[in-house]
Amino acid sequence: MSLAGRQTFAVDSLAIDDIPGNTSILLTSDDSDALEAVFYRLVAAPEDEQSVVLATESSGRSTKRSLKNAIRGADDRSTMLTCEGPDRGEGVQSVAELGDLTRLGMDFSELFAEAQQTEAPLRAGILLCSTIMGEVDDTRSVYRFLNSNFLSQLRRSKALGVCAIDMSADIGADIDSTVVGLETSFSARIDVESTGRKQATLDVSGLGDNDGTIEVSW
Amino acid sequence: MAEAIRSEDGLEPTTATTVAEAGDRIESEAVDCVVTEYDLTDGTGLDVVGHLRDADPHTPVVLFTGVSPSEIDTASFEEMIVEYLNRDLPDAPDRLGFIVDDVISHSAQVGFLVPDSEGSRLEALAEYDVDELPIEESFSRLTDLIADRFDVAVSFIGLIEKDVENVLACTGSDWDSITREDTICTHSMLQEDVMVVEDINEDKRFANNDALQNLGIVSYAGANMTNKDGEVIGQVCVIDHERRDYSAAERESLQQYAATAMEILELRQSLRNARGVEVEA
Repeated sequence: MSLAGRQTFAVDSLAIDDIPGNTSILLTSDDSDALEAVFYRLVAAPEDEQSVVLATESSGRSTKRSLKNAIRGADDRSTMLTCEGPDRGEGVQSVAELGDLTRLGMDFSELFAEAQQTEAPLRAGILLCSTIMGEVDDTRSVYRFLNSNFLSQLRRSKALGVCAIDMSADIGADIDSTVVGLETSFSARIDVESTGRKQATLDVSGLGDNDGTIEVSW
Repeated sequence: MAEAIRSEDGLEPTTATTVAEAGDRIESEAVDCVVTEYDLTDGTGLDVVGHLRDADPHTPVVLFTGVSPSEIDTASFEEMIVEYLNRDLPDAPDRLGFIVDDVISHSAQVGFLVPDSEGSRLEALAEYDVDELPIEESFSRLTDLIADRFDVAVSFIGLIEKDVENVLACTGSDWDSITREDTICTHSMLQEDVMVVEDINEDKRFANNDALQNLGIVSYAGANMTNKDGEVIGQVCVIDHERRDYSAAERESLQQYAATAMEILELRQSLRNARGVEVEA
């Protein structure tokens, strides 16, 4: 059976050429504002697409606002799991305990499956995976979570996936070494370096003609 | 459920209707994937997963149920990962067969990271007839020298195979092989430089790893054995039972030992290949 139709994904606001489906991006930065800005510009769904977001440090309302700021109307084309604030608004579901990866994985799988009941191409993202790593006792369970509940779902739905890591976070392990390891599970990497207010340089690898450095502002 | 799985080419389901029966089946048969309902007469689907994780932590599991995730009691299973599929979705049977086939094909439950070039790396490793090479004596002399140089409890040389690290020589202990998910070398092999973990108890990648704790490992340093094509096939490592760091000079020295181990392996293999040609001639 096929779980998806076409796919390339436009990211006009970042001056990045269309990204093919089934691309998984590891997005890193030690500047949380710049990281968040780039994340939402990758994950926000234009018309005829949809988004699934796991937001570990923001409420449903805040996440929807960020999606809307990236692309008008993207908030109405999204469903999300949030770990902060009340379970409020259409398409918003809250996670009781971030360290409970069994539940988190099942919730995420369910959101993916429901999204795939329509033909609309899917963008999915985790903001921030570093928060999850900080919550669990054993990092190996995060590798399983990413492999089973995130990367597999991207592959099956030919989606665009973005997993964001705040390099300044305390994850209870050497974050540079951990990210070098994690990089092997993803097809692309974008490192975001803030260069001023609402400006950044993207260091891109694994995205074909987009590879290299790209100056962006928002 | 069984019909949906059978509809995929190459998949043959075997069925059990209780936790106990599933547990027996898991212990007595090789299974590639477990699909389970949540509500069972003598427990839950997560109890089945518990049996499986003891027997084989890598086997993927699909929870195929009409019970919502919010109604599932995960209190005792907080870091056990399962696929979840709502059986009430309109396309659930089709989706189940596809998912089972997919998770088996991609070993989705793997709890360790693999290099991008894992396929060609394993092919490169297979070119060395390690079992046929008189290598262990040379490697043992080398690990003796390494342990002496760094004044550590253990030094070893291991080749990293698909699922295990095969220890070819070990000074200070009698390690034979270690499951790849449990080794620090699995992480170290992905790093460009020598990887040092000063104290595994302060690193969540390793702190809750019972295998490492049982081996008494506290500090670790590992250097890559890299072949001429750039494939990392093994590691040269030093271990101590107490916290310690390694200076830049010590790291460089360990890297030199790894290069030496690689040269010994290459030379032995070249010699064996040359003798094979002589015999054929």
